[in-house]
Amino acid sequence: MTMYKQSFSLFGRCISQYNNYFRIADSRNIKRWVSPTLKELYKRREKVGPEPERPRSSYLEWNYEAELYAFGQRLGEELDRDLLKQALVQREYANLQEIQSHEKGSSLQTIIHNHEQIQDGEQIISNYLKKEFDKVYPEDIANSVIKYLTTEEMLSHIGSHIGLKDIILTNEFPVSKKTISDTFKAVVSALKQSQDLQRAENFVKDFVLSQLNGKDVIDIWNPKEPYEYLTKLLKERGITSVEPRLCNQSASNTILGCFQVGLYTDKKLVGIGWGENIKIAKETAALDALQKLCKLNKVIKS
Amino acid sequence: MSNSHIFLKPGFINVPLQNGIGRYVGQLQRVVLKFCKNNGSSRGMREFIESDLVNFAKNNPGIVVYLKPRRHRTAVIKAEYLNGDTQWLSCRNFSKDEIYKWLELLRKQQKNHEGSRIRKLWHTENPSIQGPWTPFTFRDPKLNLATFPDEELGKSENVASTSQDELVEMFKRQKLLELEAASASN
Repeated sequence: MTMYKQSFSLFGRCISQYNNYFRIADSRNIKRWVSPTLKELYKRREKVGPEPERPRSSYLEWNYEAELYAFGQRLGEELDRDLLKQALVQREYANLQEIQSHEKGSSLQTIIHNHEQIQDGEQIISNYLKKEFDKVYPEDIANSVIKYLTTEEMLSHIGSHIGLKDIILTNEFPVSKKTISDTFKAVVSALKQSQDLQRAENFVKDFVLSQLNGKDVIDIWNPKEPYEYLTKLLKERGITSVEPRLCNQSASNTILGCFQVGLYTDKKLVGIGWGENIKIAKETAALDALQKLCKLNKVIKS
Repeated sequence: MSNSHIFLKPGFINVPLQNGIGRYVGQLQRVVLKFCKNNGSSRGMREFIESDLVNFAKNNPGIVVYLKPRRHRTAVIKAEYLNGDTQWLSCRNFSKDEIYKWLELLRKQQKNHEGSRIRKLWHTENPSIQGPWTPFTFRDPKLNLATFPDEELGKSENVASTSQDELVEMFKRQKLLELEAASASN
């Protein structure tokens, strides 16, 4: 820069002659088409709208065999490749493929689908959960917890989080929750077939049973009339007299009223609860008693 | 929190699918390495592919690795997680080691954390073990047997002295001083 200044002072006039020439040379380098072109491209993109979502399997970088291998390895299970493939084929997909091959006139090739595996897997899951929960909970509670764990919502949540969503072979897109939960059941069955029942049950324990972590059983199983349920349960155990007592009350007849009710059997406190009126307090106490009696708060050890 | 984090989506630490309660499942399900075969900006990526990629794939059989050569475009890593997140990472002019470092990060992550900030470094679903407070929670046990009205319990605490009491005190102090003065003169 300093050199340039010096030279400018020396040959000022000479260079000023060429100044115009330099400026023109500079301005020719501005690419005046860039901005309008980008604007136009942006406008067209806006007009067309967002690209429709495509199944991952339609991408160029997709290798189904590699995906199947990684699926088994990810879960730490050795799955038989053919059984896994079968577990991922939906019946509708298999039927459509068959019809299409008929139309093409190619040789008759039946594709096996996962219909039987779904039922088998469902059996494995519910049997295992029943076996586990019958050890710790009364039947009603066990049933409602099992129902919660085997809903379509829950199983599809598990299925999509172990990577089933992209590798299912189905006609629909996006893949429905029902399909994912069915396929999860089929995978459990495929695991049993390729290894043994024990291994499949461990799989169910690790992925389905562990969903109860951090959840309260009393939130899942919510009895409508806890006091009646408690008296019924105690009668089965040979205790007939349950005595609710008003232990404490504060600010009665106001909006901030608080009552505390304790339930006693044979002069022993079985549950205590509180609420804004005596009826609610009694039911809360019954819920507390049920939690203690059925050991709902205890950690299941296996 | 600095100013640049104000518009990031706040969230808590969480783990997808109770991962690790039963067994641990690596959450990175597939990764696509995009690169150019002759452009200089992809040099590190090409070196990584030549020397380290096979080992990476061997050590992580649960991750599907795809290679996608494209002419004259920047090297890119695209990671896909089990929870459906995808993460796009530009690797322009990255060295071999840098790419390895980023891939390790993607492999160990639970999901794409870009565009979000963690509000706290801990999180619990059960903030209280004792349960909610009621008027009876820390009640003095001696109240159980008390009959009301009770003189002792009904007594007011911290009653400030009245101005009349103050005056009496002042008068007494004055008397004392007078007595002392009288005794001193004698």
